[in-house]
Amino acid sequence: MSGADRERTRWFLRNILPHEPALRGWLSRSALPGVDPGDVIQEAYTILAELESVDAIRHPRAYLFQVARSVIMRHVRRARIVPIHTVDDLERLDHPDDAASPEKHAIDRDELRQLARAIAAMPPKTRQAFVLRRVDGLPQREIAARMRISENTVETHISRGILFLIDWFGSSGNNRSQTSKTVESEIASLDGRARHQSRH
Amino acid sequence: MAEPDTSRDIDQAASDWAARLDRGPLSPETDARLQAWLSGDPRRKGALLRARAVSMMSESAQALGRDFDPAAFEPARRPLLASVSRRQALAWAGAGATAAGLAALALPAAARTVISTERGEIRLAPLKDGSTVLLNTETRIRVRYSDGERRVTLLEGEAYFAVARDEARPFIVEVNGRRLRTTQAGFRVRKLDRDPVDVLVNQGRVELSPALALTANTRLILSDGPSAAERPQPIAPEAVTRDLAWREGKLAFEGETLKQAADTFARYSQTRILVPDAALAREPVAGLFASNDPVGFSRAIASVFDARLEQQGGDVVLTRAAPVAATSSAAAQ
Repeated sequence: MSGADRERTRWFLRNILPHEPALRGWLSRSALPGVDPGDVIQEAYTILAELESVDAIRHPRAYLFQVARSVIMRHVRRARIVPIHTVDDLERLDHPDDAASPEKHAIDRDELRQLARAIAAMPPKTRQAFVLRRVDGLPQREIAARMRISENTVETHISRGILFLIDWFGSSGNNRSQTSKTVESEIASLDGRARHQSRH
Repeated sequence: MAEPDTSRDIDQAASDWAARLDRGPLSPETDARLQAWLSGDPRRKGALLRARAVSMMSESAQALGRDFDPAAFEPARRPLLASVSRRQALAWAGAGATAAGLAALALPAAARTVISTERGEIRLAPLKDGSTVLLNTETRIRVRYSDGERRVTLLEGEAYFAVARDEARPFIVEVNGRRLRTTQAGFRVRKLDRDPVDVLVNQGRVELSPALALTANTRLILSDGPSAAERPQPIAPEAVTRDLAWREGKLAFEGETLKQAADTFARYSQTRILVPDAALAREPVAGLFASNDPVGFSRAIASVFDARLEQQGGDVVLTRAAPVAATSSAAAQ
């Protein structure tokens, strides 16, 4: 990683990632038809990755929500048919709950403890490789020799470990596949009828 | 492909790339494949940024130390992290303080006026305005935000302030009655028992008075009161990185004496490193070490300086190995 890359990644890690569960929660609650929170989040992150500089960002959390909102707007404009609900859904998007509740905020405070628990929850082989890489700091090649597996397999375990952590930290422990299933079924049931969710 | 990738597919591929990058530098061909992949979908760059950020975060697992036993952290069932109760978190903080060295803060920073850490603990406290304070070991701060200013008092210890820009509401760090003022900066302030207050600016600009400002990569030792002797010293970016290594649970030395290094470790752990031999205590040490692993550090030192390591109660004692002639079975005994 180049220095600038690393600096941006660190900025992202400290200032943006802690707010992902809140953003995901907000996007899921707003549940716009045809808009997957996972897609919006990734696209918003792309915008952050491509910024020339992040120095001017005063309130990363508010900025993140704003960027996510612009991504949704773009999706809505691109869609040929704008479902009628979307309009007032967007109204609601004007007011993300920016004052985080204690529960939501607790996420970014005990990183290491969570990290230890997340690593502990990984599948055994992945966990072994991940501990050797991250706790003991061995290069992947050495891990391969020690575990008597190929380097490519080690790389796969590291990849799984990272994906595991993305899920763990991004959804604050909620089962993410469940979340997207819910969204999918909601999308599937969108045939002009009002959704079940209460709204006003 | 008819079906566009789901965000899940992209996360999977992004994790693969992050793991590939973790393995070592990319060949030009592989890098070209990565660039092609990145430009193929507007979500991919963001997904990779996240994967690498998570990967970077997991580097702090090194601070768990080699004695880390994942089994100790296995939950009875996979819990929802958000539902960890305050009591559980505190119980862990107590039990884990020695094991993992870092502990949880289960209350929102905004709701408390005083935030503190125990020895060996590092804590990130997000503030209401998007600024964050990272507290190093044995540190106490008081946070007071008003409409006119964002004020944090460093009562003791060491903290890194990442201040979100707000021209209208300056961020002020009070320490020993002096006021460090900024509208946006990343800087570290240290107030230890006997030493004078030490300020190091990593990013932005911090003012002590209208006439005295610190810019990036400068450091200032505060006197008891305003004084002409107070002059910011430029310091090399590498030295800044070393100074701030504690943010990742590490300690970096480059030529400090073993005594100084031992004193630094003492801030992070109950285990003391004792070096009775004055000549050995003056030996320069270099390297990057886990701040919560004084024993691991001592082992490394013992092997480099051919010293003997003994654990006496809670302490580690380093002594020069006996002169070569005397290194017999009797000496080893």
